Amino acid sequence: MLGYYLRLAMSSLRRSPGLTALMIAAVALGIAVCVTSLTVYQGLSGNPIPWKNDLLHAVTIDNWDPQFPARERHPDQPPTQLAWRDAVALLESDIPVRSVVMFKTAGVLATGTAGARPQRALTRVTSADFFAMFDVPFRFGAGWTAAADQGPEPVIVLASAMNERLFGGANSVGRTLRWNDMEFRVVGVLDEWRPLPKFYDLNNGALQEPEEAYIPWGWGLAAELPSAGSWNCWKPEPLASFRDFVQSECVWLQVWVELADAGARQRMQSLLDTYARDQQRAGRLPRPLNNRLTPVDRWLADNDVVGSDDRVLVGLAFAFLAVCLLNTVGLLLARFQRGAVTTGVRRALGASRRQICLQHLTEAGLVCAAGAALGLALAGLLLWGLRLLYATQDGTRDGIQALAHVAPGSITTALALAVLATLVAGLYPSWRIGRSAPAACLQGRPMGFRHTGRRFVP
Amino acid sequence: MNWNLRPILVAIWRSPTGALLVALQVALALAVLVNAAGIVQQRVQKVGRPNGMDTPNQFVVAVSGFTREFDYTAMLATDLAWLRGLPGVVAASVTSAVPLLDSGSSAGIRNAPGLKAGRQANIFEMDEQGLAALGVRLVAGRAFSAEEILPPAQGNQALPQILLTRALARVLFPDGDALGRQVYDPLDRPITVTGIIEHMHGNWVDWDKLDHVAIVPRVPEGPQALYLVRTRAGERDALMRRVEEHMATSDPTRLLLWVRSMSSIERRAYLADRNLAIFLTAVTAALLLVAALGIFGLATYNVAARTRQIGTRRALGARRGDIVRHFLLESSLVTTAGATAGVALALAAGYWLSVTWQLPRPGLLHLSTGVAAVWIIGLLAAWQPARRAAAVPPAVATRTV
Repeated sequence: MLGYYLRLAMSSLRRSPGLTALMIAAVALGIAVCVTSLTVYQGLSGNPIPWKNDLLHAVTIDNWDPQFPARERHPDQPPTQLAWRDAVALLESDIPVRSVVMFKTAGVLATGTAGARPQRALTRVTSADFFAMFDVPFRFGAGWTAAADQGPEPVIVLASAMNERLFGGANSVGRTLRWNDMEFRVVGVLDEWRPLPKFYDLNNGALQEPEEAYIPWGWGLAAELPSAGSWNCWKPEPLASFRDFVQSECVWLQVWVELADAGARQRMQSLLDTYARDQQRAGRLPRPLNNRLTPVDRWLADNDVVGSDDRVLVGLAFAFLAVCLLNTVGLLLARFQRGAVTTGVRRALGASRRQICLQHLTEAGLVCAAGAALGLALAGLLLWGLRLLYATQDGTRDGIQALAHVAPGSITTALALAVLATLVAGLYPSWRIGRSAPAACLQGRPMGFRHTGRRFVP
Repeated sequence: MNWNLRPILVAIWRSPTGALLVALQVALALAVLVNAAGIVQQRVQKVGRPNGMDTPNQFVVAVSGFTREFDYTAMLATDLAWLRGLPGVVAASVTSAVPLLDSGSSAGIRNAPGLKAGRQANIFEMDEQGLAALGVRLVAGRAFSAEEILPPAQGNQALPQILLTRALARVLFPDGDALGRQVYDPLDRPITVTGIIEHMHGNWVDWDKLDHVAIVPRVPEGPQALYLVRTRAGERDALMRRVEEHMATSDPTRLLLWVRSMSSIERRAYLADRNLAIFLTAVTAALLLVAALGIFGLATYNVAARTRQIGTRRALGARRGDIVRHFLLESSLVTTAGATAGVALALAAGYWLSVTWQLPRPGLLHLSTGVAAVWIIGLLAAWQPARRAAAVPPAVATRTV
């Protein structure tokens, strides 16, 4: 039956190609704009590590000013980063399966090969669990052990792009290079890895690229590495040296823990609270107890990764789709009306209302499917345009550019929108034509329009 | 003139579906148009606001030392002497941050010792050529002299003097002149205000205190250094190339990170705002076009469906003008109904957007302009079908009855 309906629909659509083209164009435009904005939105609001969402938790402790909350826009929340002494104290716990403390610093990498230019490399100073905890893929070698953090050992992991620039993409494990003029040995090279958003460190932009090199946590103190990320201080302290800074209330470290189950979560929470109470007794942490273990999706929400502008664009896209579909409803009504004589014949020959309705719905579905296919292609074009809009002349990369590609999600979106469009735009006209009387159809006025010219006197 | 609406209303009443669909389109289009216009206007103003600097004639050089032999102080002296000696360079200063470039520091400044609440200020460390390199205007006081520039220091070091933007000076000293007064650092040490800058933007373009900037006479900490260079008009690009070549090779103990014009830094800072405005404008325009097509389609359909009536009316003495007026009036009625619903929808959406996302609420001007625009678009879209209706010859009436 569907095959027959499709044949009928095809021949009907071919009869008035102009109207058909207009309908397809309207649906395609609406779907294209929706797919474009939803593709970017999905990229922004997506959880890059959903399979570990319930395991990974950002750790935060409120060590802020007694009179002012750390975050103006979220006064109920603690600062997003930790002070050194809190981070180090918590790292000692064996409740988490894995725990990571980290920050980013500026580095310059040189291979020592004659003629090779040194490379600036933003570097993550992190404890060993980072790679296993965030499921970071390796192309060559592996990360380091907890012992290397203690040493600290001069070992380094390179991102794949940096390995490409320094060693032409070859397996560089075992090679030595100079990081800020200190000798380091390459122990691992990452595979392509670009979590979007960069959930584990949202400071300096949620769409930033991951760092290009990774060195053991111990180097932070050993080489007195300053943070190249964001750091915030509230307490009047001299901060005259690196040691001062480390002992201060300034927050600048990201801490994450992997907790096996709800029990571990509870134990970790009580450990945090106990620690905070001890600190309060010692005269620190003047604010009310506010220690948090935040899973990834909540963390992204708490940090406003999806901005109001992004939501406005999605709303706008759906308003646009609505107008396009309203337009299509009108066009379909006109289209069905034109084919009313055929419909009347079919009704007269015994086709049921339901069958007529389904047949016309098939025609609407065909239009919307074509619209979705064209819309997807158009969305590809729009996303390309978006990448152009976000192109920068200065070599920096905007994260939107990484998101603005036709993704599997965009195709699913287009399919879903096609079904939605068929139902929204096709259901009413199909129902109308289905319930019109056969005789009225044969007269070519199925929608009940009556010629009553007598009232039209000039 | 016959302005009798009754036959038109009857015609719409008889087959309301098409009219209803078009009115809905108009309502949605108007709601989007009005709110989008408000947001676009806000962003255009944001992108276009003056930053106080000599943007077209400035560029920034970032270098970083990375070897053991690297001597930060010596590098600064050599580089700055070289930059200042270049023909075409008006001024060059080392700076801790670049205005409009998303990375810098802020601190609380207080107007009395012992106060808890300070005023957040965006702090720049610069040398004696700082103001000249920024191209900002001093409205009171004086710039730093070379002897006043302090060596690099970490943390909360005591400072003898500070320059404030007028906007910051006003919030610190609402009662009047800030020049010569004292402000206090976090450790309650006094700092004398020695100059007031007319206007200048700081680091974060989305910060509501973007023009709360303070400049202190100190060389920023190494090993990374930023040089802000201001050139004579028209010489920026040539100088940028020359500086890039020199800095890349002149000193092997350091690395040239980048050279960027202030224009490109400004463009980058407002990229998201600019693009939102572009995207909103484009989609709203497309939406109006689709709605116009809807109006056009309905009018065309009505004309086609009533060809015989038109012929009859013409045969009974209606002039072409009467027919055109009839269809334009019919279309306007639909547009007006849609616009009425649209105004309500626009106000509701605007209220929701402003409460939930702090976006600008559409004003009366936006609303009235939007209604007028939708109305004119409606008339234009119905014009051609109405003309076609007027062209129907009276003889049609006699053919198929």
